[in-house]
Amino acid sequence: MALEQPSNPQVNQGNQSAGHAQFCRRTRREFLWEAGGGFASVALTGMMSADGFLNSQVVAADGSSKFQNPLAPKDPHFKPKAKSVIFLFMYGGPSHVDTFDYKPKLYGLDGKTITVKTKGRGGEKNEGRVVGPKWKFKQYGESGQWISDLFPNLATCADDIAFIKSMTADSPIHGSAMLMMNSGRILSGFPSLGSWLNYGLGTENENLPGYVVMLDPTGGPISGAKNWSSGFMPATYQGTTMRSQGAPLIDLRRPEGMSKVVQRELLDELKAANQKHQASRAGNSELAARIASYELAFKMQKHAPEAADIATETKQTQELYGLNNPRTADFGRRCLLARRLVERGVRFIQLYSGGNHNDTNWDAHGDLHKNHSFHAGNTDQPIAALIKDLKARGLFDETMIVWGGEFGRQPTAEYAKGTGRDHNSYGFTMWTAGGGIQGGTSVGATDELGAAAVEKPFHVKRLHATILNQMGMDPNRLAYFYGGLNQKLVGVEHTEPIHEII
Amino acid sequence: MLRTNHFGIRTGLIKLLLGGMILFPGLELASVGLAENNRVPVQQNTKPVVDFTQQIQPLLAKHCYSCHGPDVQEGGLRLDQSELAFKQLESEATAVVPQHPEKSEIIRRLISKDESEQMPPEGDRLKQEQIDLIKNWIKQGAEWKKHWAFLPLQQKTPPIPKQTQWVKNPIDAFILAKLESKGLSPAPRANRGALIRRAYFNLTGLPPTPEEVDHFINDRSPDAYEKLVDRLLASPRYGERWARHWLDLVRYADTNSFERDGIKPNAWRFRDYVISSFNQDKPYSQFIKEQLAGDELDQVTNETIIATGYYRLGLWDDEPADPLLSYYNELDDILSTTSQVFLGLTLNCARCHEHKIDPIPHEDYYRFLAFFHGMNSYGIRSDQLSYNQTDITSPEVSAMHARIDAQKNNAKKKMHQMEQMAIKKMSGVDQRRSETRQRDKLLKEKLKQYLEPDQYKVYQALQHEMHQQEAQRKKAPPRKMALSVRRSLKEPRETFVLLRGNPNVRGEKVQPGFPEIFGKTEALIPATRKEQQTSGRRRVLAEWIADGDNLLTSRVIVNRIWQHHFGRGIVQSPNNFGQLGVPPTHPELLDWLALEFVKSGQKFKSFHKLIMMSNTYQMSAKFSDQAAAIDPANDLFWRFHMRRLSAEEVRDSLLAVNGRLNLKMYGPGIYPQISKEVLQGQSRPGEGWLNSSEEERARRSIYVFVKRSLITPLLFNFDFADTDSSCAVRFVTTQPAQALGMINGSFVNLQAEYLADRIIEEVDKKHALFVERAIRLAYGRKPLKGEVDTGVRFIEKLIKKHSLKEKQALNYFCLTILNRNEFVYLD
Repeated sequence: MALEQPSNPQVNQGNQSAGHAQFCRRTRREFLWEAGGGFASVALTGMMSADGFLNSQVVAADGSSKFQNPLAPKDPHFKPKAKSVIFLFMYGGPSHVDTFDYKPKLYGLDGKTITVKTKGRGGEKNEGRVVGPKWKFKQYGESGQWISDLFPNLATCADDIAFIKSMTADSPIHGSAMLMMNSGRILSGFPSLGSWLNYGLGTENENLPGYVVMLDPTGGPISGAKNWSSGFMPATYQGTTMRSQGAPLIDLRRPEGMSKVVQRELLDELKAANQKHQASRAGNSELAARIASYELAFKMQKHAPEAADIATETKQTQELYGLNNPRTADFGRRCLLARRLVERGVRFIQLYSGGNHNDTNWDAHGDLHKNHSFHAGNTDQPIAALIKDLKARGLFDETMIVWGGEFGRQPTAEYAKGTGRDHNSYGFTMWTAGGGIQGGTSVGATDELGAAAVEKPFHVKRLHATILNQMGMDPNRLAYFYGGLNQKLVGVEHTEPIHEII
Repeated sequence: MLRTNHFGIRTGLIKLLLGGMILFPGLELASVGLAENNRVPVQQNTKPVVDFTQQIQPLLAKHCYSCHGPDVQEGGLRLDQSELAFKQLESEATAVVPQHPEKSEIIRRLISKDESEQMPPEGDRLKQEQIDLIKNWIKQGAEWKKHWAFLPLQQKTPPIPKQTQWVKNPIDAFILAKLESKGLSPAPRANRGALIRRAYFNLTGLPPTPEEVDHFINDRSPDAYEKLVDRLLASPRYGERWARHWLDLVRYADTNSFERDGIKPNAWRFRDYVISSFNQDKPYSQFIKEQLAGDELDQVTNETIIATGYYRLGLWDDEPADPLLSYYNELDDILSTTSQVFLGLTLNCARCHEHKIDPIPHEDYYRFLAFFHGMNSYGIRSDQLSYNQTDITSPEVSAMHARIDAQKNNAKKKMHQMEQMAIKKMSGVDQRRSETRQRDKLLKEKLKQYLEPDQYKVYQALQHEMHQQEAQRKKAPPRKMALSVRRSLKEPRETFVLLRGNPNVRGEKVQPGFPEIFGKTEALIPATRKEQQTSGRRRVLAEWIADGDNLLTSRVIVNRIWQHHFGRGIVQSPNNFGQLGVPPTHPELLDWLALEFVKSGQKFKSFHKLIMMSNTYQMSAKFSDQAAAIDPANDLFWRFHMRRLSAEEVRDSLLAVNGRLNLKMYGPGIYPQISKEVLQGQSRPGEGWLNSSEEERARRSIYVFVKRSLITPLLFNFDFADTDSSCAVRFVTTQPAQALGMINGSFVNLQAEYLADRIIEEVDKKHALFVERAIRLAYGRKPLKGEVDTGVRFIEKLIKKHSLKEKQALNYFCLTILNRNEFVYLD
């Protein structure tokens, strides 16, 4: 081999799947054509009636179907526990042993070089210098769950949270790991979780996007829009970025100088001309669809800013989320906005804690203490507020919150000096709460160093399956035919939700 | 349900597959609902002949083959071949007993209420009418045909329909005969206004000017239309339009995706190559050979080297978690694209095991992969050029640069060694910094203190040397590089079947070869000559694909040409001619076209003309209740499909009608302005998105830089092709984001303003004249009765009632003109 082609067969066989071809790996039970049939019986009956319009774009001939938003609500496979998901994405990869995965032995090993197998951006290593956890852990709530001092506020919600302490992913590299956490694959081109939910369920509020992404002020995550892409599905299902300040959506604000009344005049003129044009063109319902889409856009201009207007919230609520503190104001505003979107039927909301590169997110390669203090400090109060506020409003049970990054961090140091930890996809912690999740529980475990999941390892797709399941979708049935195959978010192998936390 | 006759089911199935495959997958399995809704006449107690290809095989493929097909044969049953379906099973039952549905186990299992017996065992049962269809088919003798696409092309004489005067060429004969057989007649001819717009957009992607419209409408010569077609085919705009169809297929992009989404240097030369190939009317066979084996041909030129950029357009992870897997993913991308694009086969489905549906064994995948196994990965992170950039500079300029490079590299290497020596002594935090973009800053600040003084002097001298060489370089003419296959091996890697697709689990060794469905699998690779630099394997593959006798190549390409003239292919799944694809609506026509294409030298232009001269192409889009009742999907082409403009056509038209479209051809990609809000989605907002001058930004959309993680919003909203895998059919969505962009977006508002400027300059501000000219420029046609008055009243209302300045009112009027359905929909 002339090129420095990888000659490294020591790869984790469990994770060894052939990229996107891994879908093909199926057993009879999992096979999708049947599964697709099952899906049709419930979800697609909804789609059929709702999507006469898109259908007409295919057949271009029915002439009578009315405009339907392609995101019109569709029936789930079964009665859902949750109506919405808020995914709090701790971009960069928070260290599990410093946050929720208590490893008492690790403290004493601080500074000692030990034998431990790790794989991160620095490659594969067989030994390393332990960095003892930088925070103390205490037990909280009736459930007595261990939470580190990084999260004093969240700790008061211990009994609402279910920890998954044995997560695994296929890649310890940001680019591919982000794609995996968001779309289930280490390659780009696949629809993200929110797209799957919108494809399967539609949105309850057609005046708002069904899938909203709110970014950190420092910028998006690496690979940007690929993280909320609809992949091979139509653009209709992709995530829409929403801002908590200024015009919430792209192109939502009228051009400078155009008043609302004038815009209405324009739209009326346009509508009249379009209707005349349509009158002599029977049997082309997409013309009507396009007319209706302008009306929908007009309505969005009213509803989206109203949804984003957190000034209408009481001072008490604003302070609960930490809007009065510059450290927590931004993330707090976004958490509050997330709650408002949930109230308005938005299906999937993703918030990024951290953006850009290096220490502007949780990617603590240099100084762990500084990095995690900063990011946890920015988000702890807002997240706790979100849980409490949702509970107070009776929304907690129908809103599933997911917390975590694209991977965790290693128990050992990355460099000869300092406290930085490299990436770790062999084992890490994520948590979920609300939406039918059993609070005060914990499932799975890493080894005593936190280096790898040893008890009940859960691959990322198990988390995806859990989310789909709580939303009333069978992860093994939700399928989309593309490239000669029925594709699924969870891949071809039959994937169970994490029953232990449901 | 009982109202469904065989025809209803068939169209239902087509929608089902079409929906699932390409346009709106949410609709898959919608067959029953659609069949119910279709106003299909009731035909009770009649049992029309069941068509195996159209009606039975798709059902079996979809519901049965996964367990009783090429890969798995549960209970010993295999339903994809008649001799096996008719044979007695281990259980002594027989799945299909021709003429005897009551003795056929398949029927018993399909209707069984016993959970342990019923089929399919999971998911939805077949609908009653689907089961009836299978019953009828068995009753009628269970006629079995091999899958149509795997049979040789059939030379059929065009049929002779009744209305012979309508038949301009054999295309019409095939279309009309089928229409007549269903009691349908073709829509009347399109009027000249509609026709010229159709032809312009179809061949050039641009609207005709009002003058061109007048010229055509007033040209009373009998060959007026033919002259129009000839003129458009000769226009350089033709290549710019049709190249884009090809770029969709070969997942063209200028970047690699993943974390850095780094640029693929010189990808644009490939884009230019495709444009110029279409404009040159290059035979398809040559086009194939250049892309697949441009570096292995007898005559290797800069052009053929650029063509091999085909292999370098895919995703590339510069920091793979598992490099070996990543290499095979790259090859898989190449193999998927090649097999789907050139052959209409989803060979990719055989990566982990036998293809579940089509007779494509696991080994086929690896035999095919062996053709590509001499190619290296796109690159490695520390060397992103050596394997994909070929120097196409003239020898003299080359030598000049080589000298500079050698000296620079030498200096750089020495400097790097010294830097690393110093960095090792620095603190952990600084060592980390040295791996980030702050390295240069760090070195500037601290290098000196970590080097001995005399060492540092040497370092400075090297720095000076670098600067000097750089200055030299600036004086030299630039080097020309091409994105291409480079350093492909003369002795390719050994290829093994990889069990479960796992690169670490090798099965038997295989040699390069063709898929079994083509009959002969063996590929004869000539022994390599001494002067040869690569194995020559890809050339063998290219010649085999490009051969006019190839079972699928010509069918697949003529179907694509048809698709882009009529809005859909004869096979509506253009990348999948396999058994889960959509059966052709006009199989005889497809074969006739394929043979005709090969006969006329595999040239595109004469083929476009053949299609466009047919009456089928020149039909209007006029609707007919009666026809729609029989053929709601217009599968038989009783009228022309209206269509929405593609993303590029929308953007290009906006620029064209206000006269600002810059027709400059070729060269590196341009960067339309993207709003801050959109750029904020990047991890480094604005990174990798450069500034183009306003003049450059007014160039055609095909020249827009395609950054995988940042697609220009206007193009994206109008369903630009997915960049990460082959896109055979674009979606056509209608969504509020389009409307918001078209009404509020700064680009469209600016173009409306320019349109108003243009009209004022041409005809003054007199409102009636202004309105008339706006309509003419935007739609080509003259205003309808009352249309000018309505426009004038609107403008005046804006001025008087809303106190807008006159220019503002005119701008807004233009904005409505650009937003009308008529602007983005073609008759």
